[in-house]
Amino acid sequence: MMPSTLEHKLAKILTKRKKYKAIRYGLYIFIFLLVLGSIQTTIIKDTDWEKIGTFGTVVKALARFFPPDFSLFPHLVKPTIETFMIACLGTFLALVLAIPVSWFAAHNITPYKSITYPIGRAIMTLSRSVHEIVWGLIFVAAVGLGAFPGILAVAMRSIGFISKLTAEAIEDINPGQMEAIRATGANGFQVILYAVIPQILPVFVGNTIFQWDINIRRATIMGLVGAGGLGLTFHRQLVMYNYGGVTTVIIALLLLIAIGEVGSYYIRKAII
Amino acid sequence: MTASTLSTPRDSVKTWRRFKYPQSLIKYGIMLIILVFIAISIQYLNIHLERVLTMFGRLGNLFANRYYPPDIPYILDSEYLGYVFETVKMAYLGALFGILLAIPLSWFASFNMTPNKRFLYPVARFLLMVCRAVHEMIWTILLVTILGFGMLPGVIALSLFSLGFTGKLFSEEIEAINQGQVEAIQATGANPLKVFVYAVLPQVRVAWTGISIYTWDAAFRAATVVGFFGAGGMGWYLRRTVQQVESNRVAAILISIVGLVIISEVASAWARNKVSTS
Repeated sequence: MMPSTLEHKLAKILTKRKKYKAIRYGLYIFIFLLVLGSIQTTIIKDTDWEKIGTFGTVVKALARFFPPDFSLFPHLVKPTIETFMIACLGTFLALVLAIPVSWFAAHNITPYKSITYPIGRAIMTLSRSVHEIVWGLIFVAAVGLGAFPGILAVAMRSIGFISKLTAEAIEDINPGQMEAIRATGANGFQVILYAVIPQILPVFVGNTIFQWDINIRRATIMGLVGAGGLGLTFHRQLVMYNYGGVTTVIIALLLLIAIGEVGSYYIRKAII
Repeated sequence: MTASTLSTPRDSVKTWRRFKYPQSLIKYGIMLIILVFIAISIQYLNIHLERVLTMFGRLGNLFANRYYPPDIPYILDSEYLGYVFETVKMAYLGALFGILLAIPLSWFASFNMTPNKRFLYPVARFLLMVCRAVHEMIWTILLVTILGFGMLPGVIALSLFSLGFTGKLFSEEIEAINQGQVEAIQATGANPLKVFVYAVLPQVRVAWTGISIYTWDAAFRAATVVGFFGAGGMGWYLRRTVQQVESNRVAAILISIVGLVIISEVASAWARNKVSTS
């Protein structure tokens, strides 16, 4: 009796496995066909192949970007510093604004659960879902051209990320410390100051540095919508058809980002 | 002697401080440097602080008077919805190509598993760094100037974006794997490719799937705006309405972008959850 049930079970498992295998391969084939279909409709049919021409014309179009126009370099110093400062100020503003947002959006410490929690969550989602270009457009329309809308746009984009990870860290903290501080008669503010902040500080600082690194990247494109920095120079060189200058701007941008990456690595190492 | 030490307990009842003398100085010094840097930046960037206060009024005005009744019928138009569909397709094609390219590159770019430390490792590292360092919008603009308008530059730009994004995360996953399995496979005399397939891939499969889903999400976010620079999809509508100052339509498009991104985010969170639990 015993072995027969075992065999029975084994056979059941094997048929199940076969079924799953069939489903899996069916799914693979389906996805493959879907991708092929999309390639057909979006890339092959939609592209104006005649305008792109042969491989040679593409190479020719690419060759316009070389050699880089190094005479532009002295003019790139100021926009590069500007870009760097937009990123720094944007990150700083995001950091300041992320504190109340993450306080509101952390389920365990939010002051009025039915009101502030959804507000915090909504700000977080909105901030993350709108691309920095769109934020740039909104702020340029509201406060005019210049570096200021760039700072605001960069800040708005990173609030969501910093506060999301911080709120998650707050939700994971050890409640014992909060209870201990509350037991001393501390009010809500003191509980946050002495029980919550020390526990989440490393996460918060780490995320902020990570965002700073990304924000340098974001700041480089703020100029495309009229908000100062290297993006503006890039745009100008492009509309003047000075492709060598475009390459120079990209080189400057890569240097700036490399500096940011190395800097953030060392700061993170020094803090953590 | 002992009496005197006992009679002076006041020294030990100093108020407790987290940072003792030299560290506290460093802390305040860093804060001061940050504040000075902010002041210099504000000066350098020519920001008028009085404009910060009037900003809220103007933002309110912008939303209430110009954006307010969003032109919802505009985004429900079948032509616009067609472009939304194109955007989705562009995003997943870009993410897919990026991920497929990232598999070999992240293998080459992971310090512990790279088949060739002299040549392949630095080259792969450099390629991934360039892909990540150049913002996706700059890729889009460059590709549009080379290839002309259309979906192709958008897909390539998103592929490069996804490649940079996943490549780094993928190689970090590879660098964190258990070396025991690698050694076991190596001991059978397997070549580097076989080691990668049989020792590395099974270990990173789940994490990579999660990262890939997240990449699709990120690529979709970028895809909503690549059209702004002429690379197809709904971004093109955004550019047209922004330039013609049709603010009500801009508002409607923004609503559609936020809605779609939230849907994609919920879907990706659900899928990632499903992958990590199964």
